[in-house]
Amino acid sequence: MTTSDNTPPTATTPGPKRPHFLREPERFALIGVWIILIIFFVVKVPDTFPTTANLSNMLGSQAVLLILALGLIIPLRAGDYDLSVASVLTLSAVIVAALNVTHGWPVWQASVMAVLAGALVGALNGFIVAKFDINPFIVTLGIGTVVVGLSSIIADSRTVSGVDPALSDVMLSKPFLNIPVDFYYAVILCGIVWYLFQRTAFGQRLLFIGQNRDVARLNGVAVAKLRWVGLICSSTIAAFAGVVYVGTTRSADPGSGAGFLLPAFAAAFLGSTTLQIGRFNPWGTLIAVYFLVTGITGLQLMGAQQYVQNLFYGGALVIAVVLSQTVRTRSARKRLANRDQAAVSPTNDLANSEEPAERSSES
Amino acid sequence: MALLEVIGLSKLFNGVPALQEVDLKILPGEIHGLVGANGSGKSTLIKILAGFHKSDGGRILVSGEEHQLPLGPRGLRAHGVAFVHQDLGLVPASTVLEHMALDSYGAARGLRRISWRDERRRVEELLTRFEVSVDPAAMIDTLSPVQRAMVAVVRAVGDQEESAGRGGSLLVLDEPTVFLPRDEVDLLFALLRRLKNQGSSVVLVSHDLDEVLAVTDRVTVLRDGRLVGTRAVPGQTRQDIVKMILGAPDEHVPHGQPTVRTDLPPLMAARGLSGERVKNLSIELRAGEVVGVTGLAGSGFEELPELLFGARQRRAGTITVDGHDVARPAPLDMLMKRIVLVPSDRKAEGAAQDLTVNENLALPFFTNHAGGWFIRWGMLRDQARAICRRFNVVPLNVDLTFSSLSGGNQQKALLGKWFETDPLVMLLNEPTQGVDIGARREIFRLIRAAVTDGMAALCATSDYEQLVEMADRVLILEDGQVRHELHGAEITKDSLAAFIYSGAAA
Repeated sequence: MTTSDNTPPTATTPGPKRPHFLREPERFALIGVWIILIIFFVVKVPDTFPTTANLSNMLGSQAVLLILALGLIIPLRAGDYDLSVASVLTLSAVIVAALNVTHGWPVWQASVMAVLAGALVGALNGFIVAKFDINPFIVTLGIGTVVVGLSSIIADSRTVSGVDPALSDVMLSKPFLNIPVDFYYAVILCGIVWYLFQRTAFGQRLLFIGQNRDVARLNGVAVAKLRWVGLICSSTIAAFAGVVYVGTTRSADPGSGAGFLLPAFAAAFLGSTTLQIGRFNPWGTLIAVYFLVTGITGLQLMGAQQYVQNLFYGGALVIAVVLSQTVRTRSARKRLANRDQAAVSPTNDLANSEEPAERSSES
Repeated sequence: MALLEVIGLSKLFNGVPALQEVDLKILPGEIHGLVGANGSGKSTLIKILAGFHKSDGGRILVSGEEHQLPLGPRGLRAHGVAFVHQDLGLVPASTVLEHMALDSYGAARGLRRISWRDERRRVEELLTRFEVSVDPAAMIDTLSPVQRAMVAVVRAVGDQEESAGRGGSLLVLDEPTVFLPRDEVDLLFALLRRLKNQGSSVVLVSHDLDEVLAVTDRVTVLRDGRLVGTRAVPGQTRQDIVKMILGAPDEHVPHGQPTVRTDLPPLMAARGLSGERVKNLSIELRAGEVVGVTGLAGSGFEELPELLFGARQRRAGTITVDGHDVARPAPLDMLMKRIVLVPSDRKAEGAAQDLTVNENLALPFFTNHAGGWFIRWGMLRDQARAICRRFNVVPLNVDLTFSSLSGGNQQKALLGKWFETDPLVMLLNEPTQGVDIGARREIFRLIRAAVTDGMAALCATSDYEQLVEMADRVLILEDGQVRHELHGAEITKDSLAAFIYSGAAA
């Protein structure tokens, strides 16, 4: 999952071969904190926290959030914020419910329509961003709001319930190893996004667009087109998350998605502080989602009120952003130190050279 | 008593001296030119005075009062010296009045209400006093370039008077004329003379010797970080100053037999090419030659590589590659046609500094054997290692972030990457900026070797030594057009300087 020999290595400090978590402890800090958190709750609420039911609940209940966040990190990799994902989730959920319940469509067709509608929203976002060169932050904020409005029209501003249970069956009801099926969908998507990021030209080009748009452009990357595609990906996956959502609740209303936006960003940013530091990455996002869920569930089991969610998600987002910033400046300083050292003694193991290295006369 | 006195100022960058024991004395009521070639230390000197760099030794006195070094982040600004930098620091969508008021409602007035009527009166008074006919309500982006420059100057003076009182002020102008049309420069100079007549002093940093001779009273010349001398301008000729700038006369450095294939059609050509500064320019690049392009800053030479590569939109003209017209030149298209660009600013345009060497070197290769839907990282890593080994990139570790390489090694790695694509034409923009001497030689050697094998190279640079060392012919641009062309043994630092600084004279 991390750096096997055949994946692009992340920025690592060179040195003798040591286990990853020793060489770069900060990459695994979040996992460490997560484990401490779990131990804490196991000790504090031993009756309710370490139970199969709770585990199953934690893993299953947040699959929608994870799917949404996985879609979100695709445009984020290119440096584009998609603020419309939660609205697209709503739209998709409402379309499935309305077509199935109100108009009597088969739930499969309704689901396909919903995902197509999501793709369409993404295409519109991307079109405006690419053609008029406008910051996607503001474009997706506006389009997202329009989409919520559309959802209200489609749902007639009510909760539409009574969706065909067939959908729930594939999403929720037939747990495997006691874990709801939607969790596995999310994990599969995680693998797909990982492959996309690590092993395809598309993923690498997105990375360069996000890191330095001019470099990407001068290396022949079709920047506008790929940003467009990125936004289509996030919307399409958000629509898929909407379908999963309807599967789990069997109903939808125009407010369904509202609570997902901030947690999705919190997970994406927190995820970028782990495994591949400074990069949005799917497995980091998965860890972040379940770290957040662990915290919230545990606190609620200890008797905390519903509002703890807001405190936790909001706090996590801010802390994640601060963390990624400090880690970046820290590693930049480290790099400079390495560079000075390398210039002074190019033949030490830092240089890792195979030939007698020519001494650089520059400091 | 001197208005500004700099004594024995020194500055080291990573242990390499950029300024050594430089003295500078500005008298009250004079316009003082500061000149020198690239890397002579004049911008370092100005940046120390402005507080961008910390000095490593020396003394600075303003009106006889010694200031403790290093200066704070506001530099001498805190002590009544005003600076106008090349970019002028104006915001296009604001009015002249807003710019001028900005300075006076700064820290001192805090949250107090701005009286726009008073501000307007103050600004009008200031503009009239210096005979600058600009409407205070005009937006900056509706002004002509020279009007903008004048607004920036008046603003700086006004700002300074606010803190230090009228008269006896010092204004430092860093290359203010680079982006001005030639016929309008005089308007700015007239303003400088008015400033002088009202008792202020001006330091003018400039590349353009004719301008310096036209407007300054005295001139200080720097070379290689050292003071060459200060002279009173009356009695100096342009040749005298060029000699001071360049030092010992130099010779052409032969670089082997010319390998240019005049028998073949050019690999790349442009006809009637126009861009932002380049005007109706035609150029041919043939296999086996290194073509240098140079000129004063703002003459358009620095724009040419990106214009040919399609990274900047051209206004007019046709570009042909290997005999075929390129309908819509764009980077992707040019890369497919094996035209590559090595941009001047490695940090901003050359490489993604936070990604690894391996990732940076792999980027252009996703289109062919190793890319698409299954990147073969093993293969690309081997390739990146091979490139780094061949081009002596130290340290040889492709998993380091790109930023951990020194400037010279970064540039060698990037050149290596592009050589690996087997280019027809390599367009280089200041290829050895920030590169140490050793790596510089190597870079020249590598480019020369590729050119001997049939590549064409275009090298845009303001570094004469580089042109002497590597170019087969040099085009000198002025006002966006080719004014002179030097071949082979004609290319010496003296001849380049003579043609560049003269315009038409030599």
